[in-house]
Amino acid sequence: MNPALAIHWPMVAVLVRRAMNEILRVPGAAIPGVLAPTIFFLGLTAVFGELTELGGFGTDDYQSFIIGVSLLQGSGFTGAATGVNLARDIEAGWFDRLLASPAPRPVILAGMVISAALRALIPAAVLLTVGFAIGVSWPGPFGLALAIVGVMGLATAAACWGCALALRFRTQSAAPLMQAGMFVLVLCTTSYAPREHLQGWLHTVATINPVTQVLEMVRQGFLGTVTWHETWPGLLTIAALVAVLAAFALRGMRRMAD
Amino acid sequence: MAGLVANARVVASLGARSVRQTFRRPQLAAPIVVFPSLLLAVQTGGAGGAVNLPQFPEVNGFLDFMLAGAMIQSCLLAGNSGGIALAVDLEMGFTDRLFVAPVSRYAIVLGRLAGTAALGAISAIYYVVVGLIFGVTYEEGVGGVALMVLWVTLAAVAFGSIAAAIALRTGRASVVQGMFPMIFVILFLSTAFFPAELMQEPAATVAQYNPLSFVVAGVRDPVVSVVTGAGALKAFASIAGFAALGLGLSALAMRRRLRLG
Amino acid sequence: MAAIEVRGLERAFQGGVKAVRGVALEVAEGEIYAFLGPNGAGKTTTVRMLTTLLRPTGGSARVAGHDIVREAPAVRRAIGVALQEAALDPLMTGRELIHLQATLHRLPRAEARARADELLARVGLEYAADRRVGTYSGGMRRRLDLASALVHEPRVLFLDEPTTGLDPVSRKTIWDEVRALNRAGTTVFLTTQYLEEADQLADRVGIIAQGRIVAEGTPRELKAQVGKPHLEIAIADGEVERAREVVGRLGRALPPKDGLVLVELDGGAAQVAPVVRALDEAGIAVESLQLVEPTLDDVFVAKTGRHLEGDGAGEAAGGAGEERAEQPAEA
Repeated sequence: MNPALAIHWPMVAVLVRRAMNEILRVPGAAIPGVLAPTIFFLGLTAVFGELTELGGFGTDDYQSFIIGVSLLQGSGFTGAATGVNLARDIEAGWFDRLLASPAPRPVILAGMVISAALRALIPAAVLLTVGFAIGVSWPGPFGLALAIVGVMGLATAAACWGCALALRFRTQSAAPLMQAGMFVLVLCTTSYAPREHLQGWLHTVATINPVTQVLEMVRQGFLGTVTWHETWPGLLTIAALVAVLAAFALRGMRRMAD
Repeated sequence: MAGLVANARVVASLGARSVRQTFRRPQLAAPIVVFPSLLLAVQTGGAGGAVNLPQFPEVNGFLDFMLAGAMIQSCLLAGNSGGIALAVDLEMGFTDRLFVAPVSRYAIVLGRLAGTAALGAISAIYYVVVGLIFGVTYEEGVGGVALMVLWVTLAAVAFGSIAAAIALRTGRASVVQGMFPMIFVILFLSTAFFPAELMQEPAATVAQYNPLSFVVAGVRDPVVSVVTGAGALKAFASIAGFAALGLGLSALAMRRRLRLG
Repeated sequence: MAAIEVRGLERAFQGGVKAVRGVALEVAEGEIYAFLGPNGAGKTTTVRMLTTLLRPTGGSARVAGHDIVREAPAVRRAIGVALQEAALDPLMTGRELIHLQATLHRLPRAEARARADELLARVGLEYAADRRVGTYSGGMRRRLDLASALVHEPRVLFLDEPTTGLDPVSRKTIWDEVRALNRAGTTVFLTTQYLEEADQLADRVGIIAQGRIVAEGTPRELKAQVGKPHLEIAIADGEVERAREVVGRLGRALPPKDGLVLVELDGGAAQVAPVVRALDEAGIAVESLQLVEPTLDDVFVAKTGRHLEGDGAGEAAGGAGEERAEQPAEA
């Protein structure tokens, strides 16, 4: 952990606790975030299940192939929702209270994004439960751990992205932009099929889209084998995305006073 | 006659307000245009290899097949957005202002649906243009395209009336917004994205009997094959069924709302 | 050393709209300073700059001895802030909110807990401490907001329109608390659009209109600038001229208005009894009398030609351009 963050840990902890109220104290608040990726997971499995007949999927069970995308979709949307919540806090004036306090800006950001990483575990838990119930392959403890790292890491990056946009536009009207950004990043990957089956532009985009690396890392356990070769690019991508997007969010926070 | 003209003007002006409102609020416009477009792009690029599956129907390309699904998805979401906007009007008290005006109360709902119809038509034309840009061949030509726009416009009114009924009954935007995931359940359980014969059970069986599949087929036929009387009749009957359900429920909800105040 | 020193402070927004145009003021340690002005006058923009939430586009300011731009973190450690509309999280309880604020000011956990109890009792919210803020009334929210601003015993307390929209009882509770805080040594900078609030609470008042301070001083000094108190006396017909002669011995008799005898009194209320006595001794029956004193609104009218309160106060003093000028700060 960053030493500065360690010193300010109590501040981060109270901000995380406050952000978790959104889920813990509003009845049913977690449902939309859980429902959408679960419906997509079940729907895509039912609709595109026969695609595995094309070969090259690494499995005959489409649900084992698609679960990784649904996990990242849930975490991406949960992270983007953090941006929507921040925009609401800015509109309501609550964020001024934090900015007028002596809490360092990175601490305020950390409070928001860590809560997003934790909240992303809720849709992930539901998806995995439903997935195993309909026959998703057991990824093994290491594969499962990597899936969770991917889910929490992408939620952190998505929260930074959402926060950066919230700080730029300062209105909840920017919500579609936050969600659409994550939608594009997560789905313009090898989401529906392996790279060799992707058509034209999507083949190119999926190759350069860094989230493809995260998806391959998350997916590998469910397809049977976990290798370092499929893991390190994903870890590196998460670190880079978080670093870059956090820098944007912090710059946005500094510019709030302009 | 004068009353009819006055109500028609109210419907037209409320419809225009509804369209303006949608394009001025990104939250309402994005689900209608942005998300179906992104999903269309990703599904076409990602699952396009499906046309190589032996049982897949003869089409010029996967986009030709998917276009109808995107249009129906868009008009379902347009209907839902209209319902959300109506519920927001109810929450903010804007409809009370209209209720005390000397116009038919049903004109208020019809005004909203007129706006939804316009959004349906706009979205249909948008996807037709998208199709043209990316190489879709419209087998039935201009007449077929006109039929597609007609089906999508009518479907938008039908789906919008169901959302309006929920808005009028509950008066809460969050409840109508909560229908969003259900739209995808209905879509995934239809032939919007894939032929029924290639879907997994039990979704395949549900899709065969889902009236939404008939609407999708009605919109898809002019692109990928030929328009048949039977197909058009099924599409029309399905849309009429959805509209009857929505308008009936809307009338009941409106009556209840006016009774309870 | 002054608690707040402001020199030529300016703030322009995109499009060149200037919300604050060269504000200069000084607030001494232990003083209550009220910034009085209509909506859109530049009050909130000034407070946002002084609390480091908005960077000035010109001039400079020091709060608690620290420059608001170069030493913003030090300013934030020294100040307490209760902003307009009391933006509180409806999902948190009152106790949690104060605890959060205490943690942000690095108070140790035990101390934060004790401080929360103390402050909630002080603002009379101990009975609602564990209820969610969403269930609080407007007055309770303002009191909680005030309590949270005090968690670290700030040297300087900024209150942006602390009683706007409150009922008279809640307003008085806030005033009492502000006075108590000030007695304990806290410097208070408050903005208000209420004349009575500035008059009752402030040691000194700065009147702001269209981004500029148009008058400054103690409420008494400001009112003295626009005139002296005068007495309006209603007496029986036919006695007006004689009454004018009698009261003229105690103050300056003004021309009668609507049959009323008017006399300007240097001593204000203290001179009313001698006037009544003199009329009585002269055998002139007084039907009614009223002491009319200049108000801060009279000061505002004298300085700007417009009224501060009443219909369209915001537009009257600030104008549409000013209203827009305040917008970005509040967005």
